Amino acid sequence: MEDFLDLILDPLTTLFSKFKVFFPNFLAMLVILLVGILLAYIIKHSLVKFLTAIKFDSWSDRMGFTKLMRKGDMWGKPSTILGAIVFWLLIIVTLMSSMNALQIPVIDNLVHEFFSYIPRLFSAAIILIVGYVLSGFISRGVLIAAANSGFHYAKLLADAIQTLLIVLILAMVMEQLQIAPSIVLAAFTIIFGGIVIALAIAFGVGGIDAARRIIEKESLDRQKDETPDEIDHI
Amino acid sequence: MTDFYQTGVITTLHQLGKPSLERLESELHGFAKVRPIALVLPALYSEFEGPAMPGIIKELAKVSYLNEIVLALDNASESDFQRVREMMAPIPTEVRIIHNKGKRITEVYETLARNGLDVGIQGKGRSAWLSYGYVLARGRSDVIALHDCDIVTYNRELLARLCYPIANPNLDYVFCKGFYSRVTNKMNGRVTRLLVTPLVRSLQQLVGPHKFLAFLDSFRYPLSGEFCMTTDLARVNRIPWDWGLEVGSLAEVHRNYSPRRVCQVDIATTYEHKHQILSPDDASKGLMKMAVDICKSVFRTLASEGVIFSDGLFKSLLVTYLRQAEDTLMKYEADAMINGLDFDRHEEAKAVETFTRSIAMAAQVFEENPMSTPLIPNWNRVIAAIPDIFEMLEAAVEEDSK
Repeated sequence: MEDFLDLILDPLTTLFSKFKVFFPNFLAMLVILLVGILLAYIIKHSLVKFLTAIKFDSWSDRMGFTKLMRKGDMWGKPSTILGAIVFWLLIIVTLMSSMNALQIPVIDNLVHEFFSYIPRLFSAAIILIVGYVLSGFISRGVLIAAANSGFHYAKLLADAIQTLLIVLILAMVMEQLQIAPSIVLAAFTIIFGGIVIALAIAFGVGGIDAARRIIEKESLDRQKDETPDEIDHI
Repeated sequence: MTDFYQTGVITTLHQLGKPSLERLESELHGFAKVRPIALVLPALYSEFEGPAMPGIIKELAKVSYLNEIVLALDNASESDFQRVREMMAPIPTEVRIIHNKGKRITEVYETLARNGLDVGIQGKGRSAWLSYGYVLARGRSDVIALHDCDIVTYNRELLARLCYPIANPNLDYVFCKGFYSRVTNKMNGRVTRLLVTPLVRSLQQLVGPHKFLAFLDSFRYPLSGEFCMTTDLARVNRIPWDWGLEVGSLAEVHRNYSPRRVCQVDIATTYEHKHQILSPDDASKGLMKMAVDICKSVFRTLASEGVIFSDGLFKSLLVTYLRQAEDTLMKYEADAMINGLDFDRHEEAKAVETFTRSIAMAAQVFEENPMSTPLIPNWNRVIAAIPDIFEMLEAAVEEDSK
């Protein structure tokens, strides 16, 4: 009878002892989660207020970030959207940290991978922001230079250059995030190589006459230089 | 049929004989290949529920020379917006609707506001201005025509005659204003008849010959809401967002272009639209509000051209205006009698009294703050402040259209 009772009580005792170990961890997880959400909320509000104070929205309007957001059908204020992004990043970090408190090996591994991925996420974001600003700057420079030299398709050229630069930046970002790097590299090589070959062929075929004229003019000039002076000097 | 007399400093294009609409439209077809035409319609949702807008849609469905139609819709919910899209569907021309209360367009307005660009409150001025911006952003049209959406007697001949002088590359006009007589069983158009014309002539009497006053006096219907212009003009013109819209727009046209490049065209034999109440006791609505805004706009324009407004000048203006308006009243009474029209002399005299008070109020507001007349910045300045505003505006309208 005692054996039978042990048979019933043992699992319960084990379960209770496991629960005794798990419960403080669970409480810690809840506390981390609550504090994290509260902190994320406060940080988000402070960040939005700070960004509004430094006129981040107007700056974004001028630098082209707002346009980028609108093209992605995001119609909030840039400061509010940045605040929301930071908030949700903090929530994810909080969630990961709180799950870490449970001390379950599988989750520990997941958390470790997540935190080791964060530096890549940051560097990708920096590449994206700096690259986008630079592409806008270069495109505007090309537009001004081409328009001033009377090129009819200045806007088209500037837009094409910006698009190409954005493709390049996106490839770099994807590579940084380690999202299908081999496919991204192959796709990028094919697209860029294709464009360069297309340009080379277009320039080569279209420039045959111009090249012939230049070469002919060059050889004529040379012939003229080589013709002896027909005037007899005294 | 009208006479063919040319008055004032601008060209007047009369309706002589019975010009063929088919000929006009076929010529416009040819012109539109060189100068594509956009039609801007500032509308309230209520106008789609009344008789005016369904009639306009029916007529526009027969027009094929337009390149695009931009409808700026105000006072409409999301479901109203969808209903308007369905109602506009029979029109063969590409129609784009700017949903002024939609979240995307609201955000565009907020973007402008946070960059220090005051585009005023909701109204025809702001809607028209944003529509010009959208036409400029798309860059597909060279000519912009605009007419109100409350015209009950709308006929597509109105649009053809309005567009013709600007669309025709052989005529070197940049701005064309429509005119018509507002006659039913009586004469309407009280603000033009009893305020604007007597006011302009009184000012001419007091300040002497003045180019802007001569320009304004040349228009047969300076307050008509129908006009056509080049996109270049739409880019540089600043417009007021209040009731001074028509007079303020004319002031900007006068400032930027020679009167030789401005014309007015007879667009309709009959024209009927919704009427405003006189509101003699409340200056915040009705014709009283309209009159105050118009007077402020005229005073500001003249002041910006060097006319000095003193207390004495304003006092004299009230008396001179009253005399001018009373004389005008007698002229219209005679005109009504010979044409067998009703003429309520008491009502007309009440309107003159209301307008006299409006001038006094406008003078007071102007003396307190001469810069109070609101002008929406022109698109060149907006682009300088927010280089990507055109792309944002285009994206907002395109997303709303999906």
